[in-house]
Amino acid sequence: MRTRLTVAVASLAGLLVTAVPIVAHHSFAAEYDANKPINLTGTVTKIEWTNPHCYFYIDVKNEESGKIENWALELGNPNALLRAGWTPNSVKIGEAVTVEGTRAKDGTFLGNARSMILISTGRKLFAGSSQTTNP
Amino acid sequence: MVTNETDRFRTGAWARAAVVFSVFVLTSSAHVFGQWVTYPTPNVPRLADGQPDLTASAPRQPDGKPDFIGFWQPDRVRDCTPDLAARVRLTQPCKPGEKVTVPNGPASVPGGLPLQPWAAELARKRTADLSKDDPHNRCQPDNYPRTYWLPHYTKIFHVPGELLMLNEWNAQFRQIYTDGRPFPEFMHPIYSGYSTGKWDGDALVITTKGFRESEWLDTAGNPITSAATMTERITRPNFGTLNLAITIDDPKAYTKPFTIDMNMKIMIDTQMIEEFCLENERDSSRLFGPGAGK
Repeated sequence: MRTRLTVAVASLAGLLVTAVPIVAHHSFAAEYDANKPINLTGTVTKIEWTNPHCYFYIDVKNEESGKIENWALELGNPNALLRAGWTPNSVKIGEAVTVEGTRAKDGTFLGNARSMILISTGRKLFAGSSQTTNP
Repeated sequence: MVTNETDRFRTGAWARAAVVFSVFVLTSSAHVFGQWVTYPTPNVPRLADGQPDLTASAPRQPDGKPDFIGFWQPDRVRDCTPDLAARVRLTQPCKPGEKVTVPNGPASVPGGLPLQPWAAELARKRTADLSKDDPHNRCQPDNYPRTYWLPHYTKIFHVPGELLMLNEWNAQFRQIYTDGRPFPEFMHPIYSGYSTGKWDGDALVITTKGFRESEWLDTAGNPITSAATMTERITRPNFGTLNLAITIDDPKAYTKPFTIDMNMKIMIDTQMIEEFCLENERDSSRLFGPGAGK
C-alpha cells in the first residue's frame, strides 16, 4: 500500500522532471572541461529563454576574494526544458539557486549546468545538459 | 477473511486517494496542459490503466498502407532479438528479451564504416579536434540522414503523392514524392537531396540523390558526398516505433555501401515548436580542440 502512494508520487514527480532526451548542438568536450566540475550557489540576475540554449546568470560570491562573480550557465533548449516540466516562471530573477555542472575551457565565468536546485523549495530541475549524450 | 476485507478496503482507499491526489495536482498544474508542448495527442491507443499502448498495431492509411504520421525521435534502446547483432553493432552482448542501448547513427554499423583512406583521415582529424568545426555548431543546416540521429524531433505527414518530414531544428523540411515522378535532370546540390518513394509491401522505400559536395554525416565527422545515393526502407512495426534501414552508397567516400538500422520512437502528448539555432548561438566561438583553453 505504501508502494502505491510511492508510485503515485513518483509518477507525478515524473510529470515535472521527465528525463527527456538531451538536445545539444555542439560537442561537449570542445567547450567544457570535464575535469572542472562546478557547484555554485547564488542569486539569479538574468534569464535568456532562447535557442539553441537557455542561459541563467547568477551572482556568486567568491569566498577567497570576496568579490561577486556573475556566472553564465548554459542549459538545454526551451523545448527540452518545457518538455521536462519547466516554464519560464520556474525560476525567477532574485531567486537563490544551487547549480551543479562543468566549467568552460575558456576560463570565463561560464558553465554547463547539469542540475539546478531552488533553495527556497529544494526542488531540483533537470537542466538539459549536453554532457551525457554529446561527449 | 476480515483481514482480507480490511486489506481490500485499505487498498481501495489508497487507490482512491492516489487518484484524487493525481487529479488535484494535474488540475492545479495548469501549465502541464496549458502548453502546446505538453498538449495531449489524440487517437493514441490506451491500455486499461490509461497508459499509451505503444505496442498496439500500427495505424493504416485509407488505402491500406501503413500510416507513418507522428512525431518521432531516435530511439537507441532496442529489443535484443537473435538477429540484432547482425544489423546493429552492440557494445556488449545481449540476451533475447532484454532491452539494449545501441550506438547512435553511423556508429551503430556492424564492423564500422568502410571509409576510403582520405575519408578515414578526415574523420580521424575531425574527431581528434573534438568536432569543434562541425557546421552544426554554427547553426548551419543539417541533412537527412544526419537529422535522424540528432535528438531534435521529426514530424511526418502523408499527403496525396507525397510524404513530408518537418524537423524542429531550424524549421527544416523534407519532401519525399510518392507520385511516381522521375528525378530531375539537373539536381542542384542541396543538403538533404531529392527524394522519391514507393511502397514495397508495408515498407516505404525512399531513394535520395543530389546531396551537396561534402557534409558531415555525424558528430564524429564522417563525410557524405555528392556521389551518394541513399536508400531508406521504413516500416512501422507497431504504434510506437518506426524502423529505418538506411543504406548509403557513396563510392567517393566509402569502399562499399553500408546500412544503418535504427528505430525511432513516437513522442506523444507534445507538439512541434520551432527551434531556430541562430536565435542566440554563442558556442561556436568558444570551442577548442584538445589541450586548448585555460
